[in-house]
Amino acid sequence: MSRTPFDRREAASTIAVVVSSNEPLLFLSAQHEVIAASGSFCRAFEIDPATMPGRHLSEVGHGEWAMPRLASLLKATATGSAQIEAYEIDLERPNRKTRNLVLNACKLDDGDEYRVRLLLSVSDVTDVRADARLKDELVREKAVLLQEVQHRVANSLQIIASVLMQSARKVQSEEVRGHLHNAHHRVMSIAAVQKQLSTSPGGKVGISRYLTNLCDSLAASMIADPERLSISVMADDSSVTADVSVSLGLIVTELVINALKHAFPDQAAGKIEVGYHATGNDWTLSVKDDGIGMPTGDSAPKAGLGTGIVEALTKNLGSDLQLSEANPGTCVTVSYLGNVDHHEDIRPAA
Amino acid sequence: MKNGKAVVLVVEDTAVIRMGAVDLVQSAGYEALEARDADEAIRILEERDDIDLVFTDVQMPGTMDGIKLSHYIRDRWPPVKLLVASGMAILEESSLPIGSLFSSKPYSDHEIIAMMARLLASDNRSFAEVGG
Repeated sequence: MSRTPFDRREAASTIAVVVSSNEPLLFLSAQHEVIAASGSFCRAFEIDPATMPGRHLSEVGHGEWAMPRLASLLKATATGSAQIEAYEIDLERPNRKTRNLVLNACKLDDGDEYRVRLLLSVSDVTDVRADARLKDELVREKAVLLQEVQHRVANSLQIIASVLMQSARKVQSEEVRGHLHNAHHRVMSIAAVQKQLSTSPGGKVGISRYLTNLCDSLAASMIADPERLSISVMADDSSVTADVSVSLGLIVTELVINALKHAFPDQAAGKIEVGYHATGNDWTLSVKDDGIGMPTGDSAPKAGLGTGIVEALTKNLGSDLQLSEANPGTCVTVSYLGNVDHHEDIRPAA
Repeated sequence: MKNGKAVVLVVEDTAVIRMGAVDLVQSAGYEALEARDADEAIRILEERDDIDLVFTDVQMPGTMDGIKLSHYIRDRWPPVKLLVASGMAILEESSLPIGSLFSSKPYSDHEIIAMMARLLASDNRSFAEVGG
């Protein structure tokens, strides 16, 4: 860049620093004449660098920098009454799209009190702003789509639940009604995961809240006399993935239905305890009742669909199923010892 | 109220869910009416003066969704009780008229029956008490 007599008073190093700045930068006199302009400024705003030194700011380029607001801001900076910090202004040029600029200006502080010079940095944030807007739109769009999908899933599950319950109300056979109710419970246990997922971020399901909701719902629809029978949940703070929670929920649904159906034929009172505890990657799920215990011999009921579901899901989770006498009652334990990470502890660090 | 039975208007655009809800209302011992959208619901409410409770879906085609409909009903027929069900798991309670109850889909029979009973039993109580 050529130098004019005007800027000979400036140290060559000062000029060199300005010219080589990556940030578009103008070095101005108190009268807003350009002492030096950075190469980055000239490139960004398509101005021939050779035309810059000595030119008044209002004549730079095609005169597009002759902005009264900019002039008054620079004047205020020069007199020391204000400093421009992140001031936003639009640059308008003929046949060009308007650019959004962020300006920062300050007085050069080099100890020379008699000669005021200004440093004006000009950041073109048009593309950054457009990207941010696009990102916001995408995030909004994603939230709307997700809500739409959740709504559709909920509606579809409602159709299935409605059909099952309508059939259950219409059939004559108690046995068939029981099967339809069980099918409804299975659908609702999956729906409970869906509901919880739609309100919790990260696709994780807090197991304690989930099992509690699930058992409350089973109790409300299956226990006629809550004074007589109860279901309680003791679970730690761990979270599991949606897939694992669906399996755990279905296992609990089957075992609770089974206990309510068979464990308390004549008991005055009874309780079912559902437990879930995780240590590292290992976990144990248990459903325990204080009913009549496991029937043996001829009185043992044939393994039904529920047993099949529990066995299949237990196997699918890579876990072990254990049935034991709880004296009184029965305890079913599903335990997992392994290295696969299904869990995420959500307890805050101590 | 008709012949001593509470009258419940079910508003739901999905036919199978509407059928199920009507059946559910009847199984709870109430008289059931049905509408496919808010406009039809309003026509029925204009024709009859015996409707005690409106059980409505939220997302429906037509001029109003279930939330707008519930506000419209509260303004025009203040005594009518409101039960709103939606596929959204959580609905801002403030978006519904005071005293109305909300259930997320899929709802279970016992939940809806308990809510209808609670609303219909609340004749002499303030709306704020019912919501709690």
